[in-house]
Amino acid sequence: MSKATTLLLTATLLLAAGPPSAWPQKAVSSGWRFPIEEYRLNNGLRVILSADETLPLVSVVLAYGAGSIREQQGQAGLAYLMENLMFQGSENIGPLQHLSYIQRTGGIVNADTTLDKAVYYQTLPSNQLALALWLESDRMRSLQITAGSLEKRREEILAEHRRRLATEPYLESYSVFDASLYPDFPYGHPLIGTGGDLESLTEADIKAFYAGCYIPNNAVLTIVGDIQIARTKELVTKYFDPIPPGSAVSPPPRPNFEQPREVVQMMQDASLPSPGFHLGYRLFPPQTGDAYTLKILEDLLFRGRTSRLYTRIMKRDLTAYYFWGGLENRRGVLALKIFALNTTDVMAERCQKALLSEFEKLKVGLVSEDELNKARRLFKLDYLQRLSTGLDRALYLADAAFAEIPLQALPSELEKYMKVSSQSLNLLVNRLFVPGNKVVLNIRIR
Amino acid sequence: MRPQSRPFPIVAVIALAAALVGSLTVPAAAQGRFRRTPPIPDSFRELKLPEIQSIPMANGLTVAVTPQPGSPLLTLQVVIRAGESDSPRDLPYTATLAARMMDRGTKELSADDMENIVESIGGDLSVTVSMDYTVLTLQVLAEYLDRALDTLRLMVLEPEFRDLEFASTRRTFFYELQDRNKNPEFVGHRHLLRILFENNPYQTATWGEDVLKYVTLKDAHAFYNRFYAPNNTVFVVAGDVDGPAIARKIGQRFAAWPRRLIDRPAAPPAPTPNTKERVCFLDHPGSEDAVIFVGNLVMPPSASDYYPFLVLNQALGGTMNSRLFMSLRESKGFAYAAFSEAEFFRACGVFWAKARVAPEMIHAAVQEIIKEFKAFSSEKVVPAEIEEAKSFLVGQLPLKFESPDRYADRLAWVVALGLDAGHWNRASDNLMLVNAEKVIEAAQKYLPMTPVVVIVGKMEWAGAALKDFDAVEIYDSTGAFKTILRQGVEK
Repeated sequence: MSKATTLLLTATLLLAAGPPSAWPQKAVSSGWRFPIEEYRLNNGLRVILSADETLPLVSVVLAYGAGSIREQQGQAGLAYLMENLMFQGSENIGPLQHLSYIQRTGGIVNADTTLDKAVYYQTLPSNQLALALWLESDRMRSLQITAGSLEKRREEILAEHRRRLATEPYLESYSVFDASLYPDFPYGHPLIGTGGDLESLTEADIKAFYAGCYIPNNAVLTIVGDIQIARTKELVTKYFDPIPPGSAVSPPPRPNFEQPREVVQMMQDASLPSPGFHLGYRLFPPQTGDAYTLKILEDLLFRGRTSRLYTRIMKRDLTAYYFWGGLENRRGVLALKIFALNTTDVMAERCQKALLSEFEKLKVGLVSEDELNKARRLFKLDYLQRLSTGLDRALYLADAAFAEIPLQALPSELEKYMKVSSQSLNLLVNRLFVPGNKVVLNIRIR
Repeated sequence: MRPQSRPFPIVAVIALAAALVGSLTVPAAAQGRFRRTPPIPDSFRELKLPEIQSIPMANGLTVAVTPQPGSPLLTLQVVIRAGESDSPRDLPYTATLAARMMDRGTKELSADDMENIVESIGGDLSVTVSMDYTVLTLQVLAEYLDRALDTLRLMVLEPEFRDLEFASTRRTFFYELQDRNKNPEFVGHRHLLRILFENNPYQTATWGEDVLKYVTLKDAHAFYNRFYAPNNTVFVVAGDVDGPAIARKIGQRFAAWPRRLIDRPAAPPAPTPNTKERVCFLDHPGSEDAVIFVGNLVMPPSASDYYPFLVLNQALGGTMNSRLFMSLRESKGFAYAAFSEAEFFRACGVFWAKARVAPEMIHAAVQEIIKEFKAFSSEKVVPAEIEEAKSFLVGQLPLKFESPDRYADRLAWVVALGLDAGHWNRASDNLMLVNAEKVIEAAQKYLPMTPVVVIVGKMEWAGAALKDFDAVEIYDSTGAFKTILRQGVEK
């Protein structure tokens, strides 16, 4: 999940994007101090522009609804393989030349695939905007893949996956846990899968995925930085408008989770360095406002060395030697996840009990105003830090577009987080942190 | 450890295209002519940065402010002009341990209290210690400026050096250093510096975690007493602030900090570049491939050939389009990746080429790197190559100022090393003034010097992979010397 995605928790709660819009400068403290404008090309490509002349840079993000949620059973890894193949050249651009063209300007280029989308992004000197649009439009309209490059990329991804499995001993446990927390293939399977599906993917699979997902009417183009709006629109039209739309894209599958009671599983692996556990609550379907409350709860529980759970586990009880926790959003399906490593089985059990007791405390008492304020401020700093560069904002806008958040709502978004109260926290914990939403994977080494 | 999220493996993606077997071309609509070639760029807009407002205080403290209108965040940095090279030679990492004690409490407040104070204002605190200077950075929301300044005052003026906190800080740092050993690139880079900085103060920051046990609470405190003084400190502020107004606020809080005589040389002695052939092999059992460093000392950033050297480095190994990559990977197939890098300190710079190779390619890759060094300094350089390198560096410059923390870090670097303002807001002009002659001059001065070669890999590769080297010094992964191999054999 991209860093911006974790903030966009209102996906399923808000209305779809409205008509083209622009707004004057809002309060600086909202993090959205530059106007945003959006429109659609005739072929369905959604375009979002935001001019910011602070530095002579422009960030261009092209996001396709081509994440792992689009994979069928037996195709795990297809979206990620496709992301890699997108650098192998198109009609007018040779293999890997996309990278070298951007690098020559001093720019940076990267890509990322998540559950719901594949995102291609670059930041480069603003006078080179046309170059980025030329490169992105060419691979949208005429990707060229050779069987050789397909095999090579497949081998490299598998080798990389094997290396990660060898060097990250708990990696497999994440996949096992996710499969229980999201017991629905489109939402729960890992990006690369086990590797088995990847090996059996055919050229026809790749072609079909590209033709079905890498089309203008399934994409969002976001341009943020030192741009002139009229000139930018002219360039976008020149490079993207002639690209024909693809077939209509069906909405991603709705999640279907049925879990009457808590799930507790055991994973035994003698090769692991120490015991530990994954603990999670699936928070679905959320109600209006839950997303904001959960985000503040996340910071209260996990952010910083004085957060509630860090203090309890790492400072007071000393029951874990590694501890991570956070909120995850998989296209509107929210989950609070914790992973801990402990020196012994007994410590793992104590640690888990302590965590559960902290959730119980939140159910029976209200969080103090001081503690809540601290969580709000830490959240606010983080939120503003995540919007501090043009690329950050361009990625955020792409995420917001896919989450169907009206862009007009963004300047008032921070305020909603700041209004989360101790009462709303208490009500939410009592409603959502219940056995039916709880999943535990205990890890033992014998 | 999270399988759903990972950075894009650029190095993996730049793999050689395999033999073309069959084609899977996706048909495209007939294209316009404009698609056939890259577009001509619009007119270039130069980077303009605000001047640094430098405001001296009566006690010698300097406040350096650069306004960032509209930014909702404030970055406050206390920059102490003392870094790891100022640690006593027999007590490496004293500077780091002293700096890390700054947020470990005061007489009245515990370390937990301090953490709570920082987090209650939504602050993000970090401590970094480089070779030449130390930076305490506190990033906060603009509305908490006063409380942030109060917090920094407590940390810098009233730190309490408690045994328990020191032991905990040292233990945490020990594990951090130990953890870094897992990374073969870190191990190789550290060893290169250790060799190049032999018998120089800069060598102190190149040791492993084992040396930490020699540093005591008393040593850390003594370091603080010696270097933490207003006349050895610059207070950097980046954000939507008014220079004189914030200087007044800082003055109110730091006026009582007494000036002190600072016993620190204007610049550490410049180390002497390597002149004899040295090949070092570090045994790193977890390595998948070998990592090679080939490097030597170069000029400090204050030198007149600094900018020509940056262009040289870029043309030689800055990107996938540069000579090293094109030669070692694309042309010869010796390496998976090959680049060059440089870092600069107060007294000198260090330059190196780095390549990741298969074990059987180690010798060929080292020879090819050295050949490229020589070729650059002896053969004609194509002006277009120089212009492309300059274009990259000028184009990349704004990225160094995009986020508030990078902006403040760059500012701290300039003020801590005492560099002229040209390094702050005229870097672009300085780069544009570089021409092919200046680059060749720099190349002829620095590239022919005999470099140190450091190879990181598995010991089991050594016999076959190192047989073509006359002599190779063998070290374990911590950098402890073990033996010498001659033509791959211990003699």
